[in-house]
Amino acid sequence: MRVTVSRRSALAGSLALPFLARTGFAANAIPLGAINPLTGAGGAYGPSMAKVAEALVARINRTGGVLGRPIALDVEDDQTNPTVGVEAAHKLIDVGKVVAIVGTWASAVTTAVAPLCWQSRTMLFTVSGADSITRLPHHGYIIRTQPNTHLQSGRAAGFLLQHESKRVFGLSAQTPFAVDSWSRLKEVLAKGGATGIGDIIYDPKQTSFRSEIDKALAAKPDTLFLNSYAPDLEILLRETYQAGFNGKRFTFAYAATDAVLKALPAGVTNGLWSFAPSPDVTSPAYKAVQAILGISDPDPYSCQIYDHVALVALAIAKAGVASGVAIHDNVRKISQGPGQKVSDPVAGLKLLAAGKEINYDGASGPCHFTPIGDILNCKFLFQVVENQHNKTLFIS
Amino acid sequence: MLDYLVSLSVFAGLYALLALGLNLVWGLGGMVNLGLAGFYSIGAYVSALAALHLHLALPLAALLAALLAGAAGAALAVVTSRLKGDYLAIVTLGFAEVIQLIAANEIWLTNGTDGLSAIPAPGRGKLSPFHFDLAAAATVWIVLALIALGLVRLSRASYGRVLRAIREDETVARVAGKRVLAFKIGAFAVGAAVMGLAGSLYAAYDGYVAPDSFDVLVTVLVVLALTAGGVGNMAGAVLGSALVVALTEGTRFLGGLLPGLSALQVASLRQGAIGFFLLLLLRLRPQGILPERMRVHRLDG
Repeated sequence: MRVTVSRRSALAGSLALPFLARTGFAANAIPLGAINPLTGAGGAYGPSMAKVAEALVARINRTGGVLGRPIALDVEDDQTNPTVGVEAAHKLIDVGKVVAIVGTWASAVTTAVAPLCWQSRTMLFTVSGADSITRLPHHGYIIRTQPNTHLQSGRAAGFLLQHESKRVFGLSAQTPFAVDSWSRLKEVLAKGGATGIGDIIYDPKQTSFRSEIDKALAAKPDTLFLNSYAPDLEILLRETYQAGFNGKRFTFAYAATDAVLKALPAGVTNGLWSFAPSPDVTSPAYKAVQAILGISDPDPYSCQIYDHVALVALAIAKAGVASGVAIHDNVRKISQGPGQKVSDPVAGLKLLAAGKEINYDGASGPCHFTPIGDILNCKFLFQVVENQHNKTLFIS
Repeated sequence: MLDYLVSLSVFAGLYALLALGLNLVWGLGGMVNLGLAGFYSIGAYVSALAALHLHLALPLAALLAALLAGAAGAALAVVTSRLKGDYLAIVTLGFAEVIQLIAANEIWLTNGTDGLSAIPAPGRGKLSPFHFDLAAAATVWIVLALIALGLVRLSRASYGRVLRAIREDETVARVAGKRVLAFKIGAFAVGAAVMGLAGSLYAAYDGYVAPDSFDVLVTVLVVLALTAGGVGNMAGAVLGSALVVALTEGTRFLGGLLPGLSALQVASLRQGAIGFFLLLLLRLRPQGILPERMRVHRLDG
């Protein structure tokens, strides 16, 4: 019998090849998706997040997979753009039939992708910080490992109260969390007997903040809460110094970068406090992330995506079924139950296979979630600037 | 797979609408309007706000979006009437930036960088995701067909001839007694209205608009779509948009073909491949796949 291949069918076949190549490998694999900012504004974080997710999936697969099946991870780039993120999610959900999507980074991307996930019963694990995300009507299909603004500002206010700030003025860059951040800070300050005397939201693209600073200093604050990014923080620090302010200043660690501290004289930056949610640096899972990336201080998002993959694998193992619904129903049973504490996902899989209960504590923290998917608590790093360098005050 | 292709056809249809709007201004009128992301986002925000706060049905919200985007287009045309070429391109690009800044900072209206979510659309939540996508695709492509038909008629009518005359030589058109400014404003307004309509459909389909959705990437993709398809040709605008979506999304499957590359390498390669394909196209067929057909009128005798 002669088999003839027409040019047309050869063309159709070769066009279909990429699709077959994807679906063809490991027919019984559990499909898992990642949407990371590999390029664009989040490009500093996406590549290492993808690397950590790939490494953990490879390790789980080497040690027997989940329920005897390997995990097939598909990492998609969102270019830190919500429209591109939506297209990536369509591909992962519609073509890949993934059970979960891990590692969405920008809040806008997460908000855009979330409806597609809950409508298709795909679990979404995110590192985005905007409070509005877990308030979406997601029916439990969102888990967020990044402390939300409520938790962060509460801890920031606690630190300021400890350091006897009485009159705090907020200067915030226009971001999705500027308003929530300030209102929570004010609330906790008030409980501790201090006052949030006022706040200004500014456009971070400005090259000078003189009028904002004049307004702030007119209110006679003893502390400035600088909810800024690095470029605007540099200008704010310089201009408040020039305006003669010598009170306390508090900001976020991602703004008080080495570059900012180098660019300003020591006299301007000395005493600047900053804080950041901190991964659990004592956890074995944190050490695993260090080893994967080959660096001593992995960023929090890489630690969080490690936990995302671990939670997905463990929830599926607990359920005995690989589906978004199964993860949705079981994720809290393996992360915050009364079971044995584990920080190694592979060890956790073995315990689950042996019929034991577990409680996974990961690289990012204890991984205990509220009913709407926010983490209950995590550690924070507080630091102070001395001679153009950040010095750790404490982690708690 | 089919679900995915349907959702891509929605995006292709939206890009095609944007390309059609751009084609009227740039292809026929010769005015480089890079403000399309601005009109797109005006349409999206107007429609989203109308649906959320005024509870307008999608057709009415879309109409309002098109009208307001068109008005913004007319206003921009008046302001930039003395600018041409690169200068016009820069100012219109600036216009899109200004709109994005307003969307990010006027929190009382636009909810700032959080964006507007849960924008209602007919059938959302009632239809399955697949059927919702199908309905969206059908809507977008029917609207696209109607707009394309209208714009083809417009470009073949005397209105289109005058626009082309302005594109080739403004002075000649003026000497021939044509009111050049009025034609320019008209073309800008109609083009912007089409873009606003696209924005309205985008908001309804995606259910979420944020300033980040309308960054310069949209402009780049649509300009590429029009260039690839053929500037000045309405069918080319549609074909080019389909091609651009096929390229940007098809390259997502590169990773499967090239095992052993990291996710970052695939992402970078993907963007490189898109650029390479378009360069190749411009090198081999600078007039676009479907170039504008010029009708030559001979004087007999």
